[in-house]
Amino acid sequence: MTRLAIENVSVDFGGVHALKDVSFSFEAGSIVGLIGPNGAGKSTLLNCISGITRPTTGRVRLGETVLSTRNAADIAGQGIGRVFQHPELVLDLTARDNLLIACHRSLDYGLLSELLMLPGVWRREREAAQRVADVLRRLGIADSADTEVRSLPYGHRKLIDLGRALLMDIGFLLLDEPIAGLNDPEIAHLTALLLELRQEFGFGILVVEHNMPFVSRLCERLVVLDLGQLIADGLPAEVLSDARVISSYLGEAADA
Amino acid sequence: MTGAADIAGLPAGLPKRPASRGLASPLLVGLGLALACAAPLGLNGYALYLLTLAGIFALVALGLNLLTGYAGQISLCHAAFFGVGAYATALLTTKAGLPYLVSLPLGALLTTAIGAAAAVPALRLKNLYLAIATLGFGVVLQKIIFEWRDLTGGGGGLALSAPTIAGYELGATGLYYLTLAFVILGLWGAWNVSRGRTGRALRIIKESEIAAASLGIHIARYKVTAFALSAFYAALAGGLFAYLVRYINPESFNVGLSIAFLSMVVIGGLGTIGGSIVGAAFYVIVPELLRGIKDAPGLVFGLLLVVVMVFMPQGLWGMARRLVWKR
Repeated sequence: MTRLAIENVSVDFGGVHALKDVSFSFEAGSIVGLIGPNGAGKSTLLNCISGITRPTTGRVRLGETVLSTRNAADIAGQGIGRVFQHPELVLDLTARDNLLIACHRSLDYGLLSELLMLPGVWRREREAAQRVADVLRRLGIADSADTEVRSLPYGHRKLIDLGRALLMDIGFLLLDEPIAGLNDPEIAHLTALLLELRQEFGFGILVVEHNMPFVSRLCERLVVLDLGQLIADGLPAEVLSDARVISSYLGEAADA
Repeated sequence: MTGAADIAGLPAGLPKRPASRGLASPLLVGLGLALACAAPLGLNGYALYLLTLAGIFALVALGLNLLTGYAGQISLCHAAFFGVGAYATALLTTKAGLPYLVSLPLGALLTTAIGAAAAVPALRLKNLYLAIATLGFGVVLQKIIFEWRDLTGGGGGLALSAPTIAGYELGATGLYYLTLAFVILGLWGAWNVSRGRTGRALRIIKESEIAAASLGIHIARYKVTAFALSAFYAALAGGLFAYLVRYINPESFNVGLSIAFLSMVVIGGLGTIGGSIVGAAFYVIVPELLRGIKDAPGLVFGLLLVVVMVFMPQGLWGMARRLVWKR
């Protein structure tokens, strides 16, 4: 089983310690929730894993491969998928074309054969279109395949963003606030879908989310960050009753 | 590890596109092609010159649209690429004695390498900052052409005689058909790229570089590709232009021309292939049609640009597409 390991990662932004010596690891197939108050460093940690931010010290490892010295595109190629809080889609392309963008790595024909549209290109494109059609069906939005993303509801857009990760042969999926902006039926659909997909494909999920009922339903383990430091790591029930977690995060959430 | 991509066991066959789109496109292309082929029969010398010029500019616009419309990278040095292509083709033909049909692609390939170098600032800069950096790059190229007098003739320019292909002198009609052939090839290539892996990568880079990288797309590689490819188009057009006007001078390839290229792309429709053709045709032909208006053709053309931009921000082609194909 492949492990994704965060090892003694610190990030300084010009004197501000966004992350301080954070270490934990998890296996493909498990679902870990990353929680903590605003500014705790959750997004910075996701950015470190996906190569958008480079750790000041420490490293991120996927199995034996060190990720933190590579660029973001290479890390994605290693099978680390990322779903953003706000789906970054091309609005005037259809759902299908947006998903085809994620087939980039598997379509490895060269520019010259693309310019001339050689038969090989045509065949590969058809295979990719088939995989996209399958993913659209799997996500339950096959009807929207030919609709411009501009005119699709927000929930659909989030599913398309998730679909892009599915097309990339991922071993791990990083989810940044996946249910923000979704309504209750959409949340229920996404929860069930994530659990099914994890079962089917065996990828690990690291999810940042503020909604505690969602987090407890989805995650088998919680990691808590506060002011850039890891303050708790364990089963949801244990972590959520931890005095430090309550005072730094949950208490604040209850007050709010 | 099981790949998320191996979802299998579902029936084959893709959903069909709406029939109207499937029929209208080949019809339009066929009609345009027939008209373009027949054009020299019914046109006088000046009109044929204008049509050739429109074709040449369309070639530049096709390449620039891949860079600006698709990848979102602004360039104010395309006139310089156009100029380098013109000079390279002219010098390879006159001084190195190569056949025109060899020096044309060779000059374009040389400019492609320069275009790739122009991408370097784009790896760090965006929007207006990139515009100014490319403007500087263009000025440098123009200045090099100007100062390298031994080779280029400097400010005195370069006079050229009619090109020959296999011993036959290429007249105005011949050059028109040669241009048309390149426009068709260029159109086909740009269409393929826009629908393929590269075009999609450029679209997402324009939308969000972080999202593009997280999908495994190497941003730097594609910015360089887009600059190089669009420089290739511009240089090929420059090589045709040199022999259309038969006299080139570094002054012609100034920032004003770069802005004109950018205008063609925007008027026609950013991120559309058809728009590149329409934009170039609009830019060349409409001012000629306005010549009849006493005193103020420039004024009317300028106002027309404002009107097009205000009422059709997606450009002439974008507007037509929405009307005809309802999308």
